[in-house]
Amino acid sequence: MQLRYVRFRAMGCPCEIRFFHRDDAEADRLADICLTEIRRLETKYSRYLPGSVTNRINDAAGRDPVMVDQETSALLDYAQTCFDQSEGLFDITSGVLRHLWHDRLIDTPPLSEFQKWLAVVGWQKVHRTATSIALPLVGMEIDFGGVVKEYAADATLELLSQEGIRDCLVNLGGDIAVLGRLANGQPWEVGITHPELPGQVIACIQVGSGAITTSGGYERFISIGDKKFSHLINPLTGTPADNLQSVTVVAPKAIIAGSICTISMLHKEAEALDFLNGTNLPFLSVDKQGKCHGSLQGE
Amino acid sequence: MKHKSTTVAALTGAAMSLPAFSGTQPAESTLSVSFSQYREADIPKDEVVAGSHERYDIEVGKFRLVTPLGADWSLAVDATRETMSGASPWGTLYGATGEPNLIMSGATISDSRTEVALSSTRYTDNASYTLGVARSEEDDYKATSYRIAGEWDRDNKLSTIALGFSYSSDELSPTEAVLFGRVPEASRRSRSISGSWTQVLGKNAVLQSGISLTKKDGYLDDPYKLRDVRPDERTQWAVSLRYRRFYDNRNAALHLDYRYYDDDWGIDSHTIDLSWHQNLGIGFQLVPRVRIYSQAEASFFEAADDYTLPKNQPQSSDFRLSGYGALSVGLKAIYRIPAWTVSLSVDQYRSDERFGHNKSRYEHPALLDFTLTNLGLEYRF
Amino acid sequence: MRLMCLVLIFLGGCETVKPWERGTLARPEMQLDSDPLETKLREQVYQSKEAASGGNGAAGAGCGCN
Repeated sequence: MQLRYVRFRAMGCPCEIRFFHRDDAEADRLADICLTEIRRLETKYSRYLPGSVTNRINDAAGRDPVMVDQETSALLDYAQTCFDQSEGLFDITSGVLRHLWHDRLIDTPPLSEFQKWLAVVGWQKVHRTATSIALPLVGMEIDFGGVVKEYAADATLELLSQEGIRDCLVNLGGDIAVLGRLANGQPWEVGITHPELPGQVIACIQVGSGAITTSGGYERFISIGDKKFSHLINPLTGTPADNLQSVTVVAPKAIIAGSICTISMLHKEAEALDFLNGTNLPFLSVDKQGKCHGSLQGE
Repeated sequence: MKHKSTTVAALTGAAMSLPAFSGTQPAESTLSVSFSQYREADIPKDEVVAGSHERYDIEVGKFRLVTPLGADWSLAVDATRETMSGASPWGTLYGATGEPNLIMSGATISDSRTEVALSSTRYTDNASYTLGVARSEEDDYKATSYRIAGEWDRDNKLSTIALGFSYSSDELSPTEAVLFGRVPEASRRSRSISGSWTQVLGKNAVLQSGISLTKKDGYLDDPYKLRDVRPDERTQWAVSLRYRRFYDNRNAALHLDYRYYDDDWGIDSHTIDLSWHQNLGIGFQLVPRVRIYSQAEASFFEAADDYTLPKNQPQSSDFRLSGYGALSVGLKAIYRIPAWTVSLSVDQYRSDERFGHNKSRYEHPALLDFTLTNLGLEYRF
Repeated sequence: MRLMCLVLIFLGGCETVKPWERGTLARPEMQLDSDPLETKLREQVYQSKEAASGGNGAAGAGCGCN
C-alpha cells in the first residue's frame, strides 16, 4: 500500500491530501474526484466568480430574496448557530469591514468610516427562510470564507471514506481532517507552526479520527503602520482581533474545529480561554506574551 | 456567557444537516437519454397459414430529467417516443399436422407512441413523498395514470419502507374497427397497491422484498385477435426479492432477483434475474446477465381458436397466455466518469415451451425470440 | 428487528453498519436500480410480451402493446 501525496492550491492556500492505495490508476481517480469536489465548493462560494452563490446573494442586497439550495441553506443554518454561540462575534456579514482596513493604512480610520461600514454589518438583520436569504441593505455582503474551507476538508474526507479509504488526511491551508492511521499503525501527526517564528513548529499533535484547525494572524493579517493584526475583524466594534495570537482546536469535524478557533480568536483573551475550556475539546492557544495554554501543550 | 458545554453540541447538531454528513447526495441534476432497438425474429414459414411471417420492430427513444427544486423538493420529467412496425398474430387454427398454426396480420402496421410523465417528490428528514402523473398516446390507445408513493427511513437509514398506489385509465379505439368487426371503442382501468422493505444487511449487502396487488377491469380482450374473449376483471399479485452483494476481493457486485406472480386467470409465473457487475480499470464496468422466465397457461387458453364456443365464454389463443418459458442472455458495458455515464447493452431473448414449469399442450407457434439493443447516456450537473 | 435479523443471518449477517462504512453501499453497482431508463424499458418490453407484471412499484401509463 503506497502513500499517495496530492499537493495543490485551492481557496488561496497550499493544500494536500494523503491517503494509502495500492493501485496507481485508482489513486489518480480518487485524487481527481477530491479535487473536483474542492473546486466545486470553491467555485460555488467564491467571492470573485460572477455566478457564484455568494455573489448572487450579495448582488441582490437591498432588493429581492435569493433562492438557495439545500447545501447553502445548511451552511447558513450553521453560520446562524455560530452567531448564536459566539454572542454575535462570529458573523458572516462582517466581511465588508475589510474596506476599513485596506493596505497602506498609517493610522486607524476616521469614525465616519466606521459608522458607514458598521451600518451594513449584522447577521441579525438578514432575512431567511428555509429556501431563501435576503440582505436588506444595499452594500451588505455575506462571505462563506469562514466556513467553506473547513467544510470542504470535511466533505473531501467523507468522499474518500465513501470510496472505501480507511486512512487519509486532508489539509486545506491548515484546516485538517483525518481518518484512520499511518501505515505503521501510528496516528497522523500534524505540526503547528510557531506564530512568532515562521518555519518553526510549536507543537506536534497526534490526531486520531477527527479534525484539527489553527487560527492565527501569522497567516493572513492586516497591518497598520508596522503593527500586525489578525485578519479577523470584530463585527461589533469594527476593529481587527488583537487577542490570542493563535488557537489550535481538535474536534470531530473541521467545520466545528474551525468555528471554535475563529470564535476564540475574536474573544478577549480571558474569555477566550474560558470558552475553550468550556468546550472540553483539546486545544492549544498562544497569547500575546507567547504563553501557551490548553491540553495539547507538551504533546 | 453561554453555557459553553452546549456549544459543541449546538455546532455538531447544525453541522449534521450539511450534505457531506447526512449521507444524502449533494443536490445535483441528472439528464438521461437512451436509444433502443427491439427486433423480433421472423416466424418459421411453415407455422404461418396466412399473413406476414415477419414480426415487430420497435425503436424507442427515452428522455429523463431529474432536478432538485429548492431545499426539499425534486422534479422528474420523463418522455418516451416509440415507433413500431410489423405484423402481429391475429389468431391460430389447427394445421394439417394437428398442431396450431398462425394467422398473421398482413403488411406492416406502422404506429408510434408518445408518453410523457411528471413527478415531484418532497423530502423530509426521514421520508419522501411522491406524486406522479403520466400520459401515453398512440393511434389506437390512450392512457392516463396517477401515482402516489411514500418512503420512510428507519434505523438510521439502514431500513426503508415504501408504499405506493397507482391508478390508470385507458381508452382503446382499435384501427379499422368497422372493416374487421372490432369493437370501435372500449375502456379499461387498473388500480394497484405496492409495498417494499429494503434492508441493509452489512456493509456489502442489501436485500429488498416487495409485494404488489393489481386489479384490472373493463375491456381486457385483445381487439386485434380474430377470436379473443377475456373476463371483465383480473386480479394480479406478485412478490419479489432483490439481493445485491459486493465482493471486495473481486471488485464486483452480484445481483439476484426473484419474482413470483399469480393471477385469477390461472396464470402463475417465476422470474429470475441474475447479473454480475464487474469493475475493470478506471470507470469501466462489464455486466453479463441472464433472465429465466416461466409461466403457466391461463385457464381459458385455447391452442387454436374455437369458433363453436359461445361468444361470451372466455377464450384466447394469445401466446402470452400460454404455458412456456423464456431465457434471456445479455451483456452490458458501462463507462463512468464523474459527470457522465455511457452504456451499451445487447440482450437476446428466446422462448420455448420446454422451459415452462407448466407447459401448454402444444408449443405456441407465436412464441417469441427477440434482440434488444440499448444505448444510454447520462449527464450529472 | 432482531427476529428479522435471525431470519436473514444466512445471507451474510445483519451487522450494524457505521456511517463511515457505507461507502460500498453507495457504489452505482450496488444500487437496486442504477439505470432507471433501461429498467423502465425492459419492464415495458417484458410486460407487453409476457403475462406477468408487478412485484416492485407501480407501473406507469399502459400501452396497447401487441
